[in-house]
Parts: sequence; C-alpha cells; structure tokens
Amino acid sequence: MRLQILLILLFLAIGSQVAAMERCLICHGKPDFSRVEETGRKISLFVDTTIIGHSAHSSRLCTDCHVDITTIPHAKRLEQVNCRRCHYSGNPVGAPQGELYDQYAQSVHGQEVMKGNPKAPICQDCHGAHDVQKHDSPDSRMAKKNRPKNCGSCHIEIYATYRESVHGVALLQDSVMDSPDCANCHGEHNIRRPSDTTSQVSASHVSQTCGECHGPMGVATKYGIKSDRTATFEDSFHGIAHQMESRTVANCASCHSFHDIRPQDDPKSSINVNNIVKTCGQTDCHPEATVQFASGKIHVDPHNKDSGLVYYITKFFTILTVATLAGLFVFIVLDLFRRAQKSRGGK
Amino acid sequence: MDERTQNAQAEREQIIQSLTRSILDAAKPHIDPATPQAEIDKRTREITERLQFESSVALSELVTRFSKTTPVDAKPTEERTFLRFGRNFRAQHMLMFTSIILLILTGMPLKFPEFGISKFMIVTVFGGLQNSTLIHRIAAVGLIIVGAWHLGYIIFSRMGRRDFWLMIPRPQDAKDAFHTVLYYIGRKPSGPKFGRFSFIEKFDYWAVYWGMVVMIGSGLILWFKEMFNKGLFDIAREAHSDEGLLATLAIIIWHFYNVHFNPEVFPMSWVWWTGRLTESELKHHHPLEYAEIVNAERKAVELRAEKQSASSESGS
Repeated sequence: MRLQILLILLFLAIGSQVAAMERCLICHGKPDFSRVEETGRKISLFVDTTIIGHSAHSSRLCTDCHVDITTIPHAKRLEQVNCRRCHYSGNPVGAPQGELYDQYAQSVHGQEVMKGNPKAPICQDCHGAHDVQKHDSPDSRMAKKNRPKNCGSCHIEIYATYRESVHGVALLQDSVMDSPDCANCHGEHNIRRPSDTTSQVSASHVSQTCGECHGPMGVATKYGIKSDRTATFEDSFHGIAHQMESRTVANCASCHSFHDIRPQDDPKSSINVNNIVKTCGQTDCHPEATVQFASGKIHVDPHNKDSGLVYYITKFFTILTVATLAGLFVFIVLDLFRRAQKSRGGK
Repeated sequence: MDERTQNAQAEREQIIQSLTRSILDAAKPHIDPATPQAEIDKRTREITERLQFESSVALSELVTRFSKTTPVDAKPTEERTFLRFGRNFRAQHMLMFTSIILLILTGMPLKFPEFGISKFMIVTVFGGLQNSTLIHRIAAVGLIIVGAWHLGYIIFSRMGRRDFWLMIPRPQDAKDAFHTVLYYIGRKPSGPKFGRFSFIEKFDYWAVYWGMVVMIGSGLILWFKEMFNKGLFDIAREAHSDEGLLATLAIIIWHFYNVHFNPEVFPMSWVWWTGRLTESELKHHHPLEYAEIVNAERKAVELRAEKQSASSESGS
C-alpha cells in the first residue's frame, strides 16, 4: 500500500515536470513566437527543444534556471540566469564546480561585469545558454576549433586577424589541434589585460607563454619548428634585460607580433626580410636600424655549429680560459706549497 | 741603543737598588736574627725584581701617554726607498681599476642573469638595467681613456718608452717561468733572479693589453650596433662576454693573488699608492734591477770624483 502511494507520487512528480515543460512550450514552442522591442527590432522567443535536448542541461526544467518564473504568464523581463545557483562547491545536483568561477571573477571579463559594463561577457556568452554543452563535447562553443569564433563574436577584428595568422590557419583550416587558440595564450577563465603584470600575455610572461610550445619541452618540434627559440631569446640581450625586469625591451611579440603571427616567408610577416628593418626600427626600439643591422640570424645559439664564427669564437675562448686559468692555478698552488714547506723548515 | 737611553737605564737601576736597600733597612728591626742569610738574599732579589717590573710598567704607561711617536713610527732607521711607478703611471692604474671594477659589477650580472645576486646587483644596487648599462658605458669611456693615455705614455714619456721596451717578452722569461716551476717543486734551491719586470708582471701586462683590445673593440661594436650587421654583433657579443669573464677571473685569481693574497704581501702591496719599494723589497723581488741601479750609482759617484779631481788638477 505504502509502495503504491510512493509510485503514484513519483508519477505525479514526473507528470508535473513534463507538464511544466509543456506549459512553457505552449508559447515558446512556436517558431514564430517573438517580441517587438521599442526600437522596432523583432526578437525571437522561440525555444528549440532539440537544442536543449542535446545540451548538457537536457534533463533540466526551464524553471531550474529561470527561477523567477512562478506564475504564468510570467513577468515580461526575466532576470539574468545565474549559473552559480547550481555551480557552487557542494551543490546537491552534482553540477561541475571549482575555482574557475573565482578565476572568472578576478579576470578582466568578471571585473568589467562587476563594474556594470553591459557588454562584458558572463557565463552564457561564452558557454551558450540553451545550447550549453559539456566542455569536452566537440559541439561545444568552447571546443578547440569553435573557440576562436566564439571569442570573436565580441573581439571581431582580432578574430579576423587571428584567422589569417599561422596559428589560425593551422587550427581552423588544417585542423592542427596543437595550434594555439585564444585560450592557450590568454587563459580561459583567468583572462587578464596585457598591461596586467600577472597576465599570461603581459611583457613579463609572454616569453613563458610562447615557450609552452616553442620551448625545449614544447610541441613545436612535432611540426619541424625549432624548439630553441625561448632559450636563445633568454640568452640574448633582450632576454637578459627581461630577467633584469626591464619591460621596455623586445619580447616575442615585439618582433613576431601577437595575433598576426605569420611565417617568415609570408610577405605580410613582421619578420619577413622586407619588413624586418621596420620591425627592429620601431620608435621605442632601434629607430636608426639599417638593413645591415637587421640582417642575419636572430636566434643565435653560440653552442650550435650552425652559428658559424660565433661557435668557433666560443670554443676558442673556452679553451683559452680553461688553459690560462689552469696554468695560473697550478702556479699559485705550487707557490703556496713551496711557502708552506719553507715555513715548516724544509729546504 | 743610544747613549741617552743607556744612561737612563743605569739611573733607573741605581734607584731600584737604593729603594731595595732602604726597604730592607726599614725591615731590619722586625727580622728574626736567626733567619739564614740565604733566605734574606732570596727576599731581597724578589723585592728588586718586583721594583724592576713595576717601574717598567709605569715607564711604558708614561711613554704611551706622553710620547708623540707611536711604537710603529719609532722604527730604528728609515730604509732607503726606490721609485718604481711614477705619478703618471699610478694615475693610469687607478683610473683603470676604477673603470674595471665598475665594468665587472655592471657586466658580470648580464653574463650570469640566472644567479640571484645578478638580479640584486642590477635591479636593487644599480636601480635597473637602464642605469647599470649607463654606468657600464661611462666606465667604458674611462677604460678607453686609459688605453689612449697609456699609448701616449709609452710613446711620449721617457720612462714609458723604457718600461715598454723592458716589458717586451724575451726568451729569458720562458726560462724564468720554467726555473720558477723547478724551484716550486724543489728541484732548484732558489727562484730565478728578476730584472725590472718578472715574467709574472709581463704576463699581467700583456693580458691587460690583449684584453683592452678585445673588450674596447667588441664593446664599441655593441654600443654602436646599429652601424654594423647582426653577424658582427653576435661575434662581438660572444667575444665581449667571454673575454670579460677571462679577464675577471685572471684579475681575481692571478693579479689579486700576486698583489693581495700572496702571504708575502697580504693584505696588499702598497706600491700602487706610494709608487715606492724599499731597498730590501727591491733587492728581494728585482735583484737584477737593484744591481743595475747600484752599479749606475757607483759609476756616477766615480765619474763625479774623477771630474772633481780632474778639475782640481786643472785648477791648480
């Protein structure tokens, strides 16, 4: 008897859920259901159940997110859906949570939202609303290949530049999944302004960020790209000045540019033979740069035979230094030894 | 010991003796007549010794309190000294080491940027790379001036010309070096006898000469890099950095050992400041030069005597 009552209650509960969805869809299920704004713009209010059905939230009810709907018809303007209603640590529905939300709050996007900038993105702007997907789903807006376009929906000019860059072409056209998208350089939730010294793309961190791929442990070698780029940069005067906290000196982006990074043989590349004088000759760098000055290898490793004369000069000085100092050292030790012998009363 | 000190000492001895006597006289009525003479003699000696000790303590206290001369100044006789480095040469050396110390302090951190102390030097001590590179260039100008100055010195100054000539390495220097090693390992009873410049000093000098050419040459290319091509810049940078390290190590290990840390001169040889060597130093370190000087002096004296006798003969 008790079981029967329970079962009935369960059916009622499911029934009322279905009923709740159906009730919303009475209006929102019509493809031409829309609202005309004061400006005359027509806004579709149609909710495609197939989209919700494919989303990560397919089992959720409309009112799980739109909590301010208690009666039908509901208020004309609903409140913005707050994802943190579920996505907080220790939530009972098992929604993913973590430090990402706090990172977002500290990021440039989160900070702008706090300041009340209406254009600043909230969760839904990047992750989608009704079409929100799990992050590892290939259909997700946040999937590697979709991400540039997603970020580009606000940063449209940057998207246009990136799409033509060596990274953008590799990822979007050649489907090289190791090629960086926006997030590889800028971070995901912890995106900060380049002027912020804690930013991954700030002058103080950009060589590390590029080095993730172009450093000794990087993925670049897989594609026949040299992996000594960060090491040779760090050994150069530019790199040393960086370590000495000089921020006016060139970093990777100063020469290779950032969103518009192109291979050397591309005539539009900032490191193309025809453009390099201009690149070196930037006002804050070497304004008196000549073709001569800008010619030649830039990333030079003195310990690599390919560096030519520099390699042999290094070798010469290594031998000279070791030999000279060994000789001087022997002389000093012998001298001290003799003195000690003498003071002990020896001959 | 001069006569006055001798007299004073004798006088003190007399006073001590008379004091001892009067103490004994004063004690006589209280002494047991049965005391053996040996015991009395022993006590008398003790009293005399005590008085001698007390009086010398009092004397030394008086001397240190009122004397104008400190014990160090009161060295027996002034030793004869010889001028080794003239004022001009000492000034060159001072400008050079000031420049080089600054160059090392601002340059080495850039060769070893990964060391914590490097960042501390550049950022904290010099207040950033902008300042440290400026100081490096100012010191470099100092070094260039020394280079030009020394070149002028060895061309236009008589002493400079002579010293440069003596600085040129000769087969004897190789022999001396070999001889020194034999001496060190106990195969020769004594080291070689040096003239004005030993092979050690010649090595120091020519190491600096070569270093100046490399450092100034490559440094100018780095300074005015926009006028040269990148390939030359890379070569100059490598040479500048490597020779800088070699020079620094040679100075710290070799030069500092010879003029500072060597037990013979520790904490340092003051010749860089005074320019002078004492007779015993010159005799010990540069016996051939000493012999030459003494010979020349003897000859000059003889010549003067000859001239005098000649003039007196002709005058009579």
